[in-house]
Amino acid sequence: MAVRILLVDDHPIVRQGLRTLLEGRPGWEVVGEASDGIEALDKVESLQPDVVVLDITMPRMNGLEACRLIQQQPNASGLEVLVVTQHDSPQMMREALDAGARGYVVKSNAARDLLEAVEAVSQHRVFTAMARGPQASC
Amino acid sequence: MKLRILLADDHEIVRRGLCALLQKHEGWEVCGEASDGREAVEMAKRLKPDVVIVDIGMPHLNGLDTTRQLLQHDPQFKVIVLTITDSDQIIREALDAGARGFVLKSDAARDLVSAVEALQSKRMFFTPRVNDLVLAGFLEKGHAISRNEPPNLPTLTAREREVTQLLAEGKSSKEVATVLNLSTKTVETHRSNIMRKLSLHSIRDLVVYAIKNNIIQIQMPPQIQRPTETTVA
Repeated sequence: MAVRILLVDDHPIVRQGLRTLLEGRPGWEVVGEASDGIEALDKVESLQPDVVVLDITMPRMNGLEACRLIQQQPNASGLEVLVVTQHDSPQMMREALDAGARGYVVKSNAARDLLEAVEAVSQHRVFTAMARGPQASC
Repeated sequence: MKLRILLADDHEIVRRGLCALLQKHEGWEVCGEASDGREAVEMAKRLKPDVVIVDIGMPHLNGLDTTRQLLQHDPQFKVIVLTITDSDQIIREALDAGARGFVLKSDAARDLVSAVEALQSKRMFFTPRVNDLVLAGFLEKGHAISRNEPPNLPTLTAREREVTQLLAEGKSSKEVATVLNLSTKTVETHRSNIMRKLSLHSIRDLVVYAIKNNIIQIQMPPQIQRPTETTVA
């Protein structure tokens, strides 16, 4: 099944890393990028992605606030948010899920967990992962 | 002959982004990737890269101490420091450590290629803010920001700084001993010396000291404000 993905992170180099990982998966398409929550809201409206991969700590509007507002958009039905953040904290994970995110991945583990997480949330399943683990290289 | 680059960042997703960026450049290759400073030093000694790109906020050995150790081993190493902040203190420490390039992580996609090109041409690369600071130092003192100025951590040896970082990261003396291949007793001696030299009385004090002096870095979570907490005037 084709999955349309929007990447939201204030660091272009992180978006590039995420894109490199996701574009290797047949049928998945990175349809756009945003560098903060406000831009993400615009892109959600114009691009109508299936999954938004969303950082938390960003300028102008953080990811938690963006996540709440994305859920309120009229065309957001069926859209899922996967938070990818450096906050390795159960409290932050709860905040993200409370804000409407379907998944939570810690950035230090993103290379290990991202594909599985996108797959899960695109099928409307919850995916959370926090513990550190082995990492591969590019 | 290709320019060989070693990357050191604890986030693989960042390394992937950096790889993708650097490998687009003809004549460059990423010869290795390290996920912490200690691994970076080991790999650099073995691989002898032309340029080493180090993140400042890495576990086990931060990017500043990594830079110091690299240049202590071989002053010919060319190091670019990647950082999330360009505070005066970080800039001074990076210059003092001997970095020849200084790039903000948020601007890496724009500046990193230029930085590597500069080092390849035996020049240095700094952000405009670093250049301003260096110039201000030159104008005020008659010389550029001096590498002879007293460092921020004048009383700690390189080994003590390593022990400080590992303890501040929450490791026990036994765990520190394993990481550094030392006896637990030796680590405890270092720990006592550190506490005495810095007049610290608890691990909490040590953590605060490590944060204040950029030995470890933390990022604060965003201000959490639930919609239900919003009050209507």
